[in-house]
Amino acid sequence: MATINAAYSLITAALEADQAALDVVANNVANANTTGYTRQVANWKENVPVEINGISYGTGVTQTGPTSIRDRVLEERLGQQQQASAGSTARLTALDSVQSLFTPASGSASSLAGDIGSDITGFFNSFASLESAPTDISLRSQVLSSARTLAGDISNAATSLTAQRESLDQQAASIVSQVNALTGAIAQLNLEIQGTSSNGDAGSLEDERQLDLSSLASLIGINRIKTENNGLSITTTSGALLVSEGTSYPLTAGTVNGDTHLFIGSQDVTPALAVGGGQLGGLLMARDQDLPQIEEGLDSLAYAISIQVNALNNSGSDLNGNTGTAAAPLYIFQQPTAAAGSAAKIRVIMSDPSQVAAAGLGRGGGDNLNARAMAALASSPIVDGSSPSAFFSGFVTALGATVAQVQIENTALNASVVQLQKARNALSAVNLNEEAAFMQQFERSYQAASQVFAILNTIMQTAINLGVQTAVS
Amino acid sequence: MRVDPGYISNMVTALNDAQVREQQLSNQLASGVRVNSLSDDPVSAGRNVLLLSQIQRDDAFTQSSSLVTGQLQVVDSALGSVVSQLNQAIALATSANNGTKNASDLKAIGNQLAGILGEVESLANSNFQGRYIFAGASTNAQPFTTDTSTSPAVTSYGGDQDVVYLETPNGQKIQMNVPGDQIFLGAKNVFAVLNGLVADFSSGMVDQTQASQHAADLTAALNYVSQQRVLVDNSITQLTVASGAVSTEKTQLSAAQTELMQADLATVATQLSLAKTQQTALESVIVQLGSGSLFDKLR
Repeated sequence: MATINAAYSLITAALEADQAALDVVANNVANANTTGYTRQVANWKENVPVEINGISYGTGVTQTGPTSIRDRVLEERLGQQQQASAGSTARLTALDSVQSLFTPASGSASSLAGDIGSDITGFFNSFASLESAPTDISLRSQVLSSARTLAGDISNAATSLTAQRESLDQQAASIVSQVNALTGAIAQLNLEIQGTSSNGDAGSLEDERQLDLSSLASLIGINRIKTENNGLSITTTSGALLVSEGTSYPLTAGTVNGDTHLFIGSQDVTPALAVGGGQLGGLLMARDQDLPQIEEGLDSLAYAISIQVNALNNSGSDLNGNTGTAAAPLYIFQQPTAAAGSAAKIRVIMSDPSQVAAAGLGRGGGDNLNARAMAALASSPIVDGSSPSAFFSGFVTALGATVAQVQIENTALNASVVQLQKARNALSAVNLNEEAAFMQQFERSYQAASQVFAILNTIMQTAINLGVQTAVS
Repeated sequence: MRVDPGYISNMVTALNDAQVREQQLSNQLASGVRVNSLSDDPVSAGRNVLLLSQIQRDDAFTQSSSLVTGQLQVVDSALGSVVSQLNQAIALATSANNGTKNASDLKAIGNQLAGILGEVESLANSNFQGRYIFAGASTNAQPFTTDTSTSPAVTSYGGDQDVVYLETPNGQKIQMNVPGDQIFLGAKNVFAVLNGLVADFSSGMVDQTQASQHAADLTAALNYVSQQRVLVDNSITQLTVASGAVSTEKTQLSAAQTELMQADLATVATQLSLAKTQQTALESVIVQLGSGSLFDKLR
């Protein structure tokens, strides 16, 4: 049988449920700008009716706690794209600073300063100029000074590349501690989530784990594997275990051949991480693939020019009629021993301009046979089958094309991240208009419940006073 | 369909992109250069290296060629003087040998011939900016020296036989010198003939057969010198032609390089104006949309 008391308790519970729903709205509004927050919705549940004498009486409503609105597949997809995008951003940043070393010369005098292409031409041109007056000391000095400019610019570029490689190396090493902090936090959260909500969504804990995961994915390439009871295991893209539910396996940094390598346990995961994406992947890719390629190009150029010019100069006669010997070779550049590293080491060792061997072997100082041969190196296929200028032209084209390609890739990845982020935000972010509407709705229903309560109160009052209105008010 | 509540911040990203674009375009306007980094246009950047290299080579050749032309002109004018001196010597020798001159006349002619000999020798030892032009490749040492201890005196050549060439950017080789021995010691030794003539007349007695033989030899030598002078003139012509061709090539290459690297200002200005319009539009949209939410309307 229905009683006024039953109605009282029913409407009190409704008031509580409305308050709880308003709390959810308030929490959403409060966290509208919190990174990683997933909006929650109030869950209304009709209470089980009681049946008395075959008649079913409703017993009101309760709140079963808020639910976070989350699409795990979407979140994971977003994480993967963020991972790829962070990787290409890191690589692009590295390549951008590399290409600034090789700014194209526009042809104006100021733009030619430091331009290796112009230096190469200038150097071989100095031999062409020497042809016109082989005994002229000022033209001979010009040969040495343009050689110094060339050597200086090549070795500067090589030194800057080395410095950039070192800086990439340091950045990669510094990421390790961030990764370990995140994997540790995720392992801890796994335990908490498995303990508290093994079946459902863990709400704010889940938000936090998701945030950590997305931070981790932007640092290194990972795979997520869902385990039982809402747990999570994380491996690198190559399959090395980083987190297994409640346990995390730290990444350690060590030095191999002067470069920072990364290990999980005793396993060297550096090559796998380089292709896995994430900031670390981008840094390692730039460090181990892009920069060495560029360095190699400069090395080939420096090596070929040094070796070829030295060999020719050594085989001609200088202004004093001397020819290079094994004991005292007439070398313009320091003779490199191997191609690797020759760009950083290239420098001019000849200081006496009269030692430039412009004349053919045994011919008079006014002869220019050898100067012509050295000038002709400019158009001879001496660097990997190309002339020095053509090689450098190919070198800058390849570098520019790589940067342009990474730029395009980066733009595409960023656009896809934005798209996914939009989709994710549409679903999971707090929409203030919607919250305002909910607020209005819950407020109305709270007001209605209050009114019901007030009327019940009046009815109760009437019942207690048995119709006499003054006894209890 | 649900919307992304953060769309305003996405629009701010677009605003940022528009500003980046504006900055790039203003840079192009300021520098006048279209390709400011390799990735802007890798292929053009690569071609630019080759074009600049060719332009610089052409430049260097133009300078060398004007230097060498100067040198060849000195050679030509020296040979011109040699020819006129030799003509004079032949005239003197012929007039002295007609049997009408007395001993003192002959001595005077002998002295005149000795003067011509000295003049020819000094012409053969001419230099250009300190380099002896008739010494082959041994340009640092005076090529001709005369030993007067014997009669006739003996003039000897200390230079070498090396011919030196200037190479054009297209690989054409242009002769830069004619070694002194080829000019003066060629068909007939100019100095031996002149020394002989001087010896013939300076004693005051003349062996007419020998003197006329010497005069004939001198004529042969003169012809030979003139022939060698043609070689020099040919080189000057070749250089002028080559340097003209190189200048034309350089002009064309510079035009191509400018075309390749320079910004088209009209296009850039149009693009800049578009970017500016987009930025203004985005700003007003953001201002319009940023005015709040439904909460503003709650009472």
